[in-house]
Amino acid sequence: MHNTLKLTVSHAPFWHNGSSISSKSRNIFLASLLAVIPGCLQYGPAAVGVVTLAIASAILWELAINFISRRPISIGDGNAAVIGIVFAMMLPATTPWWAVVTGTFFAVVIGKEIFGGIGANPFNPAVLAMTIVMVSWSGLFDFNAALLNYDFDFMAVYPLVLSKSFGASAVDSISLVDLLMGKQIGGIGATFGLGLIVAGVYLILRGYIRWEITVSFLAGIFVAALGFKIMDPTQYAGPGFHLLTGYSLLGAFFLATEDSSSPVNFIPMVIYGLIGGILTVMIRNIGVHIDGVLYAILIINLVNPIVDKIRPKALGKGV
Amino acid sequence: MIKRSFFGLVKPKLHYETIDEAPAEPVSISTPKQVKFFIDQVPDENGNGLIKAGDQVKNGQKVAMTADAPSYVIASRAGQISEISDFVGLLGKKYTVVTIDVASGQAAADDDSFKAASQAPTLENAAGFLAGLPGKPDFTVFFNPDKKVKAIVVCGADRDLLTCTNQYFVRNNIIAIKTGIDLLCRMTGISNAILVVPQHLEQVAGSSGAIVKTVDSEYPSAHPELIMQHLLASEDNASGTRTGIAFFSAEAVCAIGAAFNTGQLPVDKIVTVVTKDGQKRLVSVPIGTPLRDILSEFNETLNQGDRVIFGGPMTGFSVYTTDYPVMPDTDAIIVQDSSQVTERGDIACINCGECVRVCPANIQVNQLIRFLEAGQYEEAADQYDLFSCIECGFCSYVCESRIPVFQHIKLAKHTLESMKAAEESNA
Repeated sequence: MHNTLKLTVSHAPFWHNGSSISSKSRNIFLASLLAVIPGCLQYGPAAVGVVTLAIASAILWELAINFISRRPISIGDGNAAVIGIVFAMMLPATTPWWAVVTGTFFAVVIGKEIFGGIGANPFNPAVLAMTIVMVSWSGLFDFNAALLNYDFDFMAVYPLVLSKSFGASAVDSISLVDLLMGKQIGGIGATFGLGLIVAGVYLILRGYIRWEITVSFLAGIFVAALGFKIMDPTQYAGPGFHLLTGYSLLGAFFLATEDSSSPVNFIPMVIYGLIGGILTVMIRNIGVHIDGVLYAILIINLVNPIVDKIRPKALGKGV
Repeated sequence: MIKRSFFGLVKPKLHYETIDEAPAEPVSISTPKQVKFFIDQVPDENGNGLIKAGDQVKNGQKVAMTADAPSYVIASRAGQISEISDFVGLLGKKYTVVTIDVASGQAAADDDSFKAASQAPTLENAAGFLAGLPGKPDFTVFFNPDKKVKAIVVCGADRDLLTCTNQYFVRNNIIAIKTGIDLLCRMTGISNAILVVPQHLEQVAGSSGAIVKTVDSEYPSAHPELIMQHLLASEDNASGTRTGIAFFSAEAVCAIGAAFNTGQLPVDKIVTVVTKDGQKRLVSVPIGTPLRDILSEFNETLNQGDRVIFGGPMTGFSVYTTDYPVMPDTDAIIVQDSSQVTERGDIACINCGECVRVCPANIQVNQLIRFLEAGQYEEAADQYDLFSCIECGFCSYVCESRIPVFQHIKLAKHTLESMKAAEESNA
């Protein structure tokens, strides 16, 4: 039974559906451009600088870690680029270069690589990094101060600050359509709601993000905001406002759905999303922070391993 | 290869092959010069076996290593044993390979030891002669005193994709299946016979006289474990006891019927051959025909790095030599060009959850694979249902990180089972 012809021998199955991490990253990256490009048009070259620097530095941090830890080069899977662009979407266009580079360091190195790289991160790396830099240099990420020198044709006040400081009456005049079309200030890729929704729906249809998480996250925001509104209509803004301001849409489509830090079973996904949405509104309305999405997502990332224990019985197990 | 659909929201679906309304007759190939058989037993070191190189065998003769050995093969062609060697198969399983140089013309005599046995259709005779038939009928379940067999299930649906051997027999030979089922019922005294067929063959299957159940066309619904679940769920099973079920393929049942009716053991196997260009052909070959002869029949040349798969694309196994013979349970032979071979990666699981959603056994594959990659097989079995796996291969098919999940599972099961066997033998 010997001959020189060498055949490929491997284990079943011999088919694969062709999916790969790089194609997933590519799709998420391209979809996010739908929100990033309008943001860049709104904020000009400074925003382009922040976005490109974030992507480039995220990739370089990952490459550096690959060399230091003597692991195979993993930047080809595109995950670092996705972390970079998602991180940039949350930043104001005036973020100084060092804050961007530090942020991507926190995202890629602290958020992902020290836990073992892709798939091992307990928190969404971009959210973790954003929270760290926000807490560290709160002045830089105060959108009202950061975007002071811009001249917009709409009211250039961060809507969540308005509702928090002056109550619901202050934001009653803001039309939801304006919010949806990006006529608000905020993160580079977080304000153009329509783009985020189209991108998110695309990713859901392609199966790159899990719709259960997105829908339940949005439902959580809606229900909680509605509850607050009914409780005290003068103090709390309505659900539409909460859904379209801050990082709500970005969180629902890009942040909460990050694979490694979210559950995979149906009921856990729904619980995970609902908790995230409800916490978001609670932090916004009764917490000290202006936007609650980041903290809410860090908390649901934390409960992910526990809720994901709710699982169906395996074949032949139990009655 | 079936690619991921553009819309990924729905679960990926793989459909079984469906046989045509009037399938083409299987192509026969010219008689091979050599046939090879794998006996599930290690060769005797002293050479004191029942057979040795140079022995003459007849058409349909039972070939075994020792007189009372439970495993044997049926020589599909008469000739002279030219070589007896050993072979290590999947997961280190040891076999004896018997090579027979096929005699031509008059030298080929028929073996008649079964002729006498065929007069009395008993289980002992069936177990003693028929286990090497095409379809590999398994009679050992009837001899297990702990688990009484209550039902016979005949599988007219094929287990894996691209294969349509069983469907061919249901479509073309339902009378032979009826004969086989009647014989099996008479031999075993079991009246509960169920014929499981794909939906499009339900009409045809009706004339078999057995209870007909259908499975849908989506992989892996025709898997024996799932059929069993399905049947147990639909049965009134108030006592909660799992009844024993004996599975037979439609091909095996046909062969059993034919064997007892004619006194001749059927030795030709229906195989689906898929060549590199994607063309599928039904081929009838003697069991034991080496791969090389089948390939040359279709002018298929193999190059460095190509892959040849015995069995279906999801659960088959790849071979490393063209000497590998057609076995009694080889339903398909698939040749893949090296460009069609998907690379497996060594990236860690990214927790996308695709495997969890496709798993027909509801296993938390994303957690399971973390334990398996770390070699913690016992924890995997205790906490994450390793032994619930029905081995359909769907998890590896959808894996975005391209982790060989199925291979990890097989290795873990094998390791645990051999550990258990070692413990028992030391006890």
